[in-house]
Amino acid sequence: MNAIEIKNLKKSYGKTLAVKGISFNIRKNEILGLLGPNGAGKTTIIKILAGVLTKDSGKIKILGKDPDKEKEFVANRMNVASPDSELTGIMTVYQNLKVYGKLYGVKNIKERIDYLLDLFEIKDLKHQKLKHLSKGQSTRVLLCKGIINNPEVLLLDECTLGLDPHIAYKTRKIIKELNATILFTSHNMHEVEWLCDRIAFMDKGKILKIGTVSSLKKLIKTEKVKMKFDKSEGLANFFKKLDIKILSLKGDTVVFEIDYKKHKLQDLIEKITKQGFKINDIIIKKASLEDIFIKVAKREL
Amino acid sequence: MKFYRVNALLYKYLKISTNRLERIFDIVYWPVIDLFIWGFVLRYINKLGAVHGSFNFIFGGIILWVFCWRAQQDIAVYVLEDFWSRSLYNLFASPLKLSELVVSLFIFSLMRSILTFGFLFLIAFVLFSFNIFTINLTALALFVLALLLIGWVMGIFISGVIFRYGMQVQIFAWSVAWLIQPFSCVFYPLSSLPGWAQKVAVWLPTTHVFEGLRQVINTGIINWNGLAYAYISSLVLLVLSCLFFKRCVEKAKKLNLLTSHE
Repeated sequence: MNAIEIKNLKKSYGKTLAVKGISFNIRKNEILGLLGPNGAGKTTIIKILAGVLTKDSGKIKILGKDPDKEKEFVANRMNVASPDSELTGIMTVYQNLKVYGKLYGVKNIKERIDYLLDLFEIKDLKHQKLKHLSKGQSTRVLLCKGIINNPEVLLLDECTLGLDPHIAYKTRKIIKELNATILFTSHNMHEVEWLCDRIAFMDKGKILKIGTVSSLKKLIKTEKVKMKFDKSEGLANFFKKLDIKILSLKGDTVVFEIDYKKHKLQDLIEKITKQGFKINDIIIKKASLEDIFIKVAKREL
Repeated sequence: MKFYRVNALLYKYLKISTNRLERIFDIVYWPVIDLFIWGFVLRYINKLGAVHGSFNFIFGGIILWVFCWRAQQDIAVYVLEDFWSRSLYNLFASPLKLSELVVSLFIFSLMRSILTFGFLFLIAFVLFSFNIFTINLTALALFVLALLLIGWVMGIFISGVIFRYGMQVQIFAWSVAWLIQPFSCVFYPLSSLPGWAQKVAVWLPTTHVFEGLRQVINTGIINWNGLAYAYISSLVLLVLSCLFFKRCVEKAKKLNLLTSHE
């Protein structure tokens, strides 16, 4: 069952088309990562889903309902955390969370707030005014607000920005363990890879690729290989003859990209040794999400 | 409409008020200054042999004007608080309905108006021996409600303008009520205005309230026609201003202004 269904969604800002007819679904309790450069349209999609921005056209269903027609039903079961959304600086952490607890009709607000503050390790800040907190502390308060109503659907827009590594790790674990459908954007590839069930690459208002991390990785037919030789003379010419692109050649160490459509690594090693080069070390760098991202952005995939 | 969501916003406005000194301060600051200046001026004028009753007209005007001014300013300023704190995103992503936001602003502005009214009543009574409750209580209640309605009209209207045009127009949050005050005949009768100003003033519901106040103080008789005009025009304007507010918020959502107003 799909928790979020988006069909042919379009949004423009003046003459600029920010989202160009996007369609995708997110299954119940799935975490979908939206990746893309700045201005790709990720935040626009999140704002439209959150109900703070009106779409130009297209259809959206959240938990089977049209959010424009059944805002109360949807908003009660959804929440959002984004650096664009702040809380009231002159109010304390507790007061801010109490307001949102009341707005979402949360029962036992006090206990819920205490639990969340404890979870994000900010219990000692409970009675501090928000304006006195650091960026990372404010982000954690925002995350508390984001899950105060135990949402079935959660929109997280770069929500780990400014968190120290320990808290960022803990936050990822909390998010992973939430029993919710999550749309997640981040520039941290490692985070997205670890957290998300599927990933959608966006650029210039379009989804370029969507799939699981492993299925996306299979799209890359090249790998980076670093080889250390006993000598460097003639290496460049030899690789050129084999039609292999050298990325760097420093002393007796060569980094090159092997295209598996053209070569097999085992055959290549054989050819190298037959030519009289002795390989002292080989390091193969598997394609990372970042590599996929760069290739998708360059339209090489 | 769910009262727990109205209650959530009332709690928020209360905490903003108690946490921010200037929000407490402005409950009394300007009205009390007004009262002192007018009080001392009137004492002096009375010594010179002014018309009997002018003291009551002006004090009555100052104290009742609070409802119109306070309601307008509080609605606009508490809307601005969400702009200043950049919390509109979270607010509008929550299940809160626009009607609940408007009702909570109405209720909170009424509460603050009553507080200001209370302060002014005490100061006028203790220092200048003026007791507003000597005025016919039915008439007083009707005047207060009519002025509140007009304050809400202006407050909601200017809030709509703020949603549409952002903080560059925030100055109106403090000044709109003062724009209509000279034509509302708060301290002087309609007949004392120049001809062109009378033509403007007669359309304002506020003018009919303050004209009515003077008539009650003078004769004890309520001008029902004037009050009916004030109520009907205020209610029509209230409906229109609420529709305008809704349209401005929708436009702000369309233009991505809720999260990007500077």
